[in-house]
Amino acid sequence: MAKKLGKKARKFANKHLQGGAKRSRKLRSQFNRRTRKDGKGREDGGRLDGDGDEEMRRSDPTVNTHDDVATLANSLEFPEDENEFDGDLSDSDGYLSEDPECPYYSDSEDGNVLKDSIVQDGLDGQNNDMNLAVKKQKKKLKKLLDKDPEFANFLGKWESELVSHESDEDSDEQDEMDSGDDGVDAGDKNPPSDKILTSKTISEWCQLVSKDPKAPALRNLLNAFRDACRFGLHSSSLSTQRLQSTEVFYQIITFILSEADNIFRSLLDIPDDDKGKLMNLRNGQKWQDVEPLIKSYLRNCLDLLSQLTDNQILTNVLTRLRASAVYFSAYPSTSRRLLKILIHFWASGDQSLSLTSFLMIREVVSLLPDCLDLCLTKGYNTYLSSSKLVDNRNIKNIDLFMNCLVELYSLDVQKSGERAATSVGQLSAILRQVSKSKEKEDLLKIDNWQYINCINLWVRFICVNYKDCHNVHSLLSSVAQIIRGVAYLLPGMRYLPLRLKLAQMLNELLNCNQMFFPVPSLIFGCLEFREIFQKEQTEKTNIHFSSLLKVPRNLLKSRDFQEQCILSAIEVLSAHFAQWSYHVAFPEVATIPLILLKRLHEQTTIDSLHRPLKRLIDQVSENRDFVQRKREVVSFSPNDLSSVESFLEDEKMSGNASFTQYYESVSKNRQSRGRKFV
Amino acid sequence: MGKSSKKKNKVILAPPLPPELDEDDIVVSDDDVEFVEENPEQALNLARLDKDAIDGFLKRVADHDDDKVELLYEERERKRRAAEALKPRNGDDIEVDPVDALPVKTLDGKVVYRPAKKARSGDEANGVKSRSEDKGAGATQGSQKEPKGRSNKKEDSKLQSPTEVPKENLHSVVLEEVKEELSSDELFEKKKAQLAELGMALLEDPESNIRSLNDLLILCNDMDQKVVKLGIMSLLAVFRDIIPSYRIRQLTEKELAVEVSKEVKKTRYYEYTLIRSYKAYLQKLISLEKQPYFYLVAVRCLCSLLDAAPHFNFRESLLASVVKNLSSSNDVARKLCGEAIRSLFRNEGKHRGEATIEAVRLIAAHVKLHDCQLHPDSIEVCLSLKFDEDLGKDDSKEDKLKPKKNKRYQNRDVAKPSEKKKIKKEMLSKARQEVRADLRAVSFTLDPKEKKMIQRETLAALFETYFRILKHSMNNSRYKATSVFPGGSHPLLAPCLEGLGKFSHLIDLDFMSELIACLKKLSGYTDHQGEIPPDNALSVSERLQCCIVAFKVWRSNLEALNVDLQDFFVQLYNLILEYRPDRDHGEVLAEALKTLLWEGKQQDMLRAAAFIKRLATFALSFGSAEAIAALITLKHLLQKNTKCRNMLENDAGGGSLSSLVAKYDPEAKDPYLSGALATVLWELSLLQKHYDPSVSGMASNVLSMANLNATQNPVQLSSANPLEAYKNLSMGLELSKPAGKVLTLKCKRKRRSKEFVALSPDVLQKADCTVGEDVLREKLQSHFAVLRGISENERLRTELNHTLSSINMYKEYKKQKKQTKKSKTGRKKVTRS
Repeated sequence: MAKKLGKKARKFANKHLQGGAKRSRKLRSQFNRRTRKDGKGREDGGRLDGDGDEEMRRSDPTVNTHDDVATLANSLEFPEDENEFDGDLSDSDGYLSEDPECPYYSDSEDGNVLKDSIVQDGLDGQNNDMNLAVKKQKKKLKKLLDKDPEFANFLGKWESELVSHESDEDSDEQDEMDSGDDGVDAGDKNPPSDKILTSKTISEWCQLVSKDPKAPALRNLLNAFRDACRFGLHSSSLSTQRLQSTEVFYQIITFILSEADNIFRSLLDIPDDDKGKLMNLRNGQKWQDVEPLIKSYLRNCLDLLSQLTDNQILTNVLTRLRASAVYFSAYPSTSRRLLKILIHFWASGDQSLSLTSFLMIREVVSLLPDCLDLCLTKGYNTYLSSSKLVDNRNIKNIDLFMNCLVELYSLDVQKSGERAATSVGQLSAILRQVSKSKEKEDLLKIDNWQYINCINLWVRFICVNYKDCHNVHSLLSSVAQIIRGVAYLLPGMRYLPLRLKLAQMLNELLNCNQMFFPVPSLIFGCLEFREIFQKEQTEKTNIHFSSLLKVPRNLLKSRDFQEQCILSAIEVLSAHFAQWSYHVAFPEVATIPLILLKRLHEQTTIDSLHRPLKRLIDQVSENRDFVQRKREVVSFSPNDLSSVESFLEDEKMSGNASFTQYYESVSKNRQSRGRKFV
Repeated sequence: MGKSSKKKNKVILAPPLPPELDEDDIVVSDDDVEFVEENPEQALNLARLDKDAIDGFLKRVADHDDDKVELLYEERERKRRAAEALKPRNGDDIEVDPVDALPVKTLDGKVVYRPAKKARSGDEANGVKSRSEDKGAGATQGSQKEPKGRSNKKEDSKLQSPTEVPKENLHSVVLEEVKEELSSDELFEKKKAQLAELGMALLEDPESNIRSLNDLLILCNDMDQKVVKLGIMSLLAVFRDIIPSYRIRQLTEKELAVEVSKEVKKTRYYEYTLIRSYKAYLQKLISLEKQPYFYLVAVRCLCSLLDAAPHFNFRESLLASVVKNLSSSNDVARKLCGEAIRSLFRNEGKHRGEATIEAVRLIAAHVKLHDCQLHPDSIEVCLSLKFDEDLGKDDSKEDKLKPKKNKRYQNRDVAKPSEKKKIKKEMLSKARQEVRADLRAVSFTLDPKEKKMIQRETLAALFETYFRILKHSMNNSRYKATSVFPGGSHPLLAPCLEGLGKFSHLIDLDFMSELIACLKKLSGYTDHQGEIPPDNALSVSERLQCCIVAFKVWRSNLEALNVDLQDFFVQLYNLILEYRPDRDHGEVLAEALKTLLWEGKQQDMLRAAAFIKRLATFALSFGSAEAIAALITLKHLLQKNTKCRNMLENDAGGGSLSSLVAKYDPEAKDPYLSGALATVLWELSLLQKHYDPSVSGMASNVLSMANLNATQNPVQLSSANPLEAYKNLSMGLELSKPAGKVLTLKCKRKRRSKEFVALSPDVLQKADCTVGEDVLREKLQSHFAVLRGISENERLRTELNHTLSSINMYKEYKKQKKQTKKSKTGRKKVTRS
């Protein structure tokens, strides 16, 4: 009785107090549970479900007005706005009143539902043992009761005391934990059915629904879906008892996921991908009718997403859900919740999950532009935190993440341009501060992956948007300055991998804006001949420059390092040459690098380098002679800009000069090499 | 009674004395001890701090009762010891006695009465007597008696007068036991207090307490290293303070024989003691310097002394050890010494320049001794030497017989003055012979002649060093030393070249040709054209520096010299290709461009053309700072050599100007054979697209020259020379400029349509492939199974717990039942009874 009283009180609170805060608390606890179970990305989870205050304090640069570098380094992240709540769907939990006419079938054929579990994991064994123990103890109790009937009375009294005491005590607790229980409140008139769902029932309903989407069985199915999605969340709830077979669970989930979208569309009479129509419909009668169903569906999908742990299932669910993205646009704050979950998957999942969740995010954001800010901020911050460490394993993930982020930022260049400007400003402020002190620990502020990856992100962003948005130019020059500054502040052999990375970024930048930058000057260090310390090195150490910023000291004089160095330098140089291979001044561009390359080719003792070096030298010389021949016959002077521009225009268009082909083969090689390493 | 026992006694007796107790309480806290232990380097500062504090404390006490006390004391003394001739020199006694005679008010306000006043005063008289005797006999005995008269105002050690012996013995036995209980910490504390006390006394009244120096020195021989450290630092503070501003001269026999007044005697004694202790202190420092534990402290003390008293006696030994440490492997010591020597050079007024010559000579000797394998810092200090520019002018005015540049003949015949001058000078000096010492002491201004002489000698020594280094680098250019010092096998070359550049106007003409030849060789020039010697040990920067120095020397000597500098141009022409941005110093290259090309007059046309082409090519391959330096030089060359402007135009065949070499060779070693005139400066068209606006602007500016006729020059963009331009654009400076505001972006297209921009299509394709149904089914089912397992587990657990607790309740139920039974039976019993 006492328990019921508590429930009523809670119901009252739910109805009259619009428990947004409570709801979000609940959400958080669910999320925490998920991440803990997940075992990975604890921090990410924490960030996502947001201890808002702390997050704000840490990442908001305006709070920390004193600009010590530590805060600067932190302030690379954008401040996040966390105080949002989920108001749309909170008034009900998605339980739908059912049509009583819908048949329930008892499962006669599979009565032993309890025993059909497919997976025999540790828990099952434990459960069996426990079952036995319970039986044994019950027997004992029964014996006692038989022996002394008066004890039964005593026990009854004690139990009732216990129950009332407990319910008093943990009514607060349950307020936080509840979710299944408040399903009851909707059911004053229609209490949720506690009939056991059987495989037969479900397939019958499915058939009914697929024949006619308007069939009342849809409601039952959606309720079943709700129970399935919440299964295991609250063991005490009724819904748990409704589902007893794995088959049923599978049936419900797959059917709803694959068919729901079509069903709703046919109910609303809208064709595929018509956002405008949906928005128009929002006030119509049809929408009013279907809305509770959609609401329930979406809510429960969210629950399902936060329940699932397997990457493959998640990918699948998300792929199905993407079709229904349009419905989310009707509920902005639910979409926010969805986005947070998605961003988490985006950052922590494997490649396909990450990509799928990104596509979903993109879909939702393009429908709901208001959410773009949230995604830009969160995505950027997540990118920064996940790119702190780079090794051979996650390098591809980071690259993918970055590309996705660029994709997201390119959705609205106006908006993201401001963010980019802020971030680049922060980067350059850090650089300036470091260049002032030049202390060793200060240098670490630029000598880290986060910093470099951040530069890389903006380089990619600029490259993608340069053609559409010529004002990116100012951004480009500051990014170029940052790159040069980093190269200047971190000199020396040990930083060659970083330097090569910077040179690649510069090449990328310059390729899009057709400006001249003496990229080779950055990597002349690679082309110096150095003696190899260990001539006979038996074991081959694997050096992958892509996952290194600084070479370990012991490898500095190793053969592999030299080899990698020169091979990467060849790539960077050929990219630079390829950019200017049709320019009238190409022979002069190539002069000094060519001298160095020739010298290196003569001196090097590493046999494997002779061939690529020779090839590059030959190609460059050939192209130099080609340009020289061509320019001997022209009559314009260097100050005739338009003629200079049009020099070899045709050849450039056709792109079949030997050097262009050579460069293509080099970059192809590089890609294949990269794939091999990863 | 041995010295040690005396010492012990003194040590043991010390604690009951009120003033010492005071200081223990007030001046030295535990924190201080810790601080000194942990930061021996900062102990010097500590010593100063202590001194101040102590001074303040003492003065306060003195202010209170000194006058009164002295009056009282003098009165009493007169009465009691009328017969005794009390020498006014015994200031310490006078000052000390009242402490014993009168109650002492400690800082915390307690009035302490001294017991055994009578005996003490007797001793006092004794002590005073013996001391006055000592003085008469000569201070040589002083050291013997010193422990007796030891400083301590309390005069406890004087308890040894014969009448007191048994008492003292008894005393010592008792105290010996106490002593054993004294921990080393307390000992240290006490010694520290003693040091502070002695230092205070010395600073307050050095004249009377000069003997305390000896005590301090003895403390410096302590077993405890910390005490020694503190001791030498206290001594440093004392010496810095009390060293007079004149040099103390050895007394001649004659002077000693003459009867002098008391005052003079007193002063002589004071000076004698000071000098002797100073010498002992220096010896101590120099010996301590060899121990690693004391190394830094000793070096610091030496440097500080050199800085404070470069005019005083024993400067030679000070200088010698400081110069030796100039190339120490310890960075801190090296820096200290360098700073000390620099301040010596800067403040010549302190020592009239004498120390400067000595220092430079010592450095020269040092370099010679170590065969030029020293740390660069040891030569670098010479860059702060100052030479008067108008020295030569005075010279020529004064003496018209000398040729104009006679000042440069210093090296050989140091100022050969004419006979007339000589006589005059001798006469003058003779006349001044008597007063000279006084004059020296009084005025630090030197007459120009003397000053000149000193500077000449300094220069001679300096250039001797420089030439030695040059010769050494040349002879051993193939010798690869594994030097511990930075700068490769010729650590001293860089500062040497810098110095030569700086003092180039002072170099003797006679050395000029030799020097130039030397530099030529060093810059890598060989008679065999072509090959650069592969094992030339000098770096590009050093070789560039050689070229710069050669030009500087040549130019600062009015270019009158008939030296062929063509070879240096060839060197520069080749070195431009050898330049590497990270390895070499761009500034040196920019300076070389400035010195050799930008500042020069009209160049040979072929050479100019070759340089123009090479600089243009160079600008394409290096950073914007290097590029702008090259472009400015290039522009300058084009302006001066109007004929070279043909290179700006695509004039097929090079016209009439084409040289013998028709084909341009970009890698040519000889500018005359490069055939550059026949080429076109296509580089400039690419440089116009340079990302750096100043470079692209300069390139356009140069290109615009093509349209002007030979006499016209394009608009001047900036008047900066290559070096300034380089510095302005160098990364370091660029980063120190405030960040430009990143403009907000304005875009034509606000939002993008749905196409993807960054992701490649094949990646996107991958996203669409979904998992097979079977896999999905299996995974979903297992997911469900796990969940069910968990909830089942939970349910069973609660059930089990419930059942178990029910069973447990049975016990309680039994108990209750028993109780009720008992009470029932009890009641029954009660009723029964």
